[in-house]
Order: sequence, then structure tokens, then C-alpha cells
Amino acid sequence: MARRRGAWLTGLTACLLAAGCGTTYMGRHGIRWNSREEIWLAEASQVKVREAQSRVFDTSDTQRTLEAVVATFQDLGFQIEVLDESLGIVSGKKFAGIEGAGQAGFGIDATYSLYDEESLVLFTRTYRTWGPFRHRSDLVRLTVIVRPRNAQQMIVRAAAQFYLQPVEAPEPYQDFFRTLERAMFAQQARN
Amino acid sequence: MRSACSVRRLFLLLAACIGVAACATPPEPPSDLLAPSAEQAALREMQTRSFDVSDKNQAMRGVIAALQDLGFIIERANEPLGLVTAARFAEPRDQDVVGVTVTVRPQGEDKMVIRANAIYNNEPITDPKVYQNFFATLERSLFVGRN
Repeated sequence: MARRRGAWLTGLTACLLAAGCGTTYMGRHGIRWNSREEIWLAEASQVKVREAQSRVFDTSDTQRTLEAVVATFQDLGFQIEVLDESLGIVSGKKFAGIEGAGQAGFGIDATYSLYDEESLVLFTRTYRTWGPFRHRSDLVRLTVIVRPRNAQQMIVRAAAQFYLQPVEAPEPYQDFFRTLERAMFAQQARN
Repeated sequence: MRSACSVRRLFLLLAACIGVAACATPPEPPSDLLAPSAEQAALREMQTRSFDVSDKNQAMRGVIAALQDLGFIIERANEPLGLVTAARFAEPRDQDVVGVTVTVRPQGEDKMVIRANAIYNNEPITDPKVYQNFFATLERSLFVGRN
């Protein structure tokens, strides 16, 4: 009888431990065994995602479009990390602010008690990009590409990444392009 | 005895399986991931100032000098797009970081619009005093550059 109770206790502890792994950053990513599968990871149709990510603007000025993209990054609170006007690329990052003890999953993430939440422990520049610990889960990355479509039009394509996964829902991109349109309008009004 | 042991093993395996399945579900991105915040318009206002400078290069040099005056290290500067980014360790705790992005845009013939936005660790700075301080330093730096 005592043995059976012991077995139940062991089982219960194992179950709690297994559930607890949901709170760690690495845990929630699952195990990816095959890197080849990563290439085909996109869940939604590529055509649909590309369509949601792209928008055509009636302008032929790459420079001004890039300026508007930079203003949009500033509006959205992104820090610009990569900028190349000849290739038409702007990349940046921001933190979505969802991370916190107890918000990460079920229960409280014990690793949060290891550091002051308001501080950022710094070791190298690489650490600063990623965050103090490996469960930095609120990092949002955004890459925008501007390229001419024809003599009168430009295509702007934005690709976002959240939680190390590509963002495939159309709504965030609609918000982005709305902000970009506003930035372009402000740019026109200024000159 | 043997059956109790195998039941325990089976139970452990089941628990581990459930655990792994629960682990492999990253959260959905928040709906406002790429939407500007409500106070964005007011923030943009305090981040932007217009200066009586006609030369973009001179304005950018002024921005770089002002950032250096404030103890920032320049990370990138792009003249055609009028962009300067810089960072420094914050006071009083030097494990904190302040990042700043400054853009310089011509406005008409003889003016430049300069916009700075600063981020403290991972939060945008919304205190107007910080921007006032930056623009005061920039004004001084542009004045010194002119003379």
C-alpha cells in the first residue's frame, strides 16, 4: 500500500515537473531535430503570407520611401539595426513587453528571481541584442524591403518575427502599413 | 512487485509525453504587435524639433557632436537617409543601456526637422525632459559648429 502511494507521489512530481518546463523559454520552443524541416516550416500558404506582407505604393522615389519606413520604425518604437539604402533594407528590433514573472506560462518562472526585472545584465553586444537570459521571449524583429515594381511604383515588404517564429497573421502587417501610409502622408505635408 | 514498477514507469513516460507536448506551443503574437501606441502622436511631437539649418551634412555633424557631448557611442550614421543611431550605458546603474535613433530631414529650403527617439533598456523613453535636454545640447552643438 505504501509502495503504491510512493508510485503515485513519484508520478505526480514528474507530472508537475513536466508542466513546469512550459515556463522556460527553451521548453516552449519544442525540440527541432531536423534543420531541413525548418526550411518548410511556414504554416500558412507562402503566397498568402507574401501578399499580407507586401504593399504597392505609387511613388518611384526609393529614398523617400526608405525615409518613411525609418519614420515608421521610430513611430513603432523599433531600434534600427541594419540600414542599406542601395539594397533598400531596413531591419530593427523592439521588445513587446509581454515578458514577466508568471506571464511566461503556468505558474511563476523561478529564473526571474535571479535578476532584477528592470535591469539588463550586459556582457557583450551579442547579449544586448538577445537579452539577459535565454528566455527573452518578447523580442520582435522586423525587416522591411523596398524595391521598385515599375517606373511609377514601389513594393514595400515587411516581415516580422516574434518568439523566433515568423509572424504570419495579416493584422500586424495591416497596422504596419497603416502607420507607414501616415508617415508618407506626413512627409508629403512637410514638403 | 514487478507490475507496480512497470506501472510507475508507464506513468512517468506518460507524464513526460504530456510535458513535452505542452512545451512545444509557443504563444500567439499579440494583436498590437506592429501597431503604434495610443500616446504615439504626443510622443512624436516631443521627439521632433525644427532647426534653421539648410545643410544636411552640417545638421548631421551637429547631431553626432551632440550625442558625443552626451556620452553616446555612435553605432551607425547614414548620410543619404539622415540617420544616426547611438548607445551608451545609463546612469546611475551602468548595466542599463540607453539607445537613441536620430533622423535628420530637410523641411523646405532652409530648415531641418530633427527627430530623436530614445529607448531605456527595452522601454521607449516618454519623459519630455530627456528630449528637451537632447535638443538643448544639439542647439549648442549646432551653434558651436556654425562659429
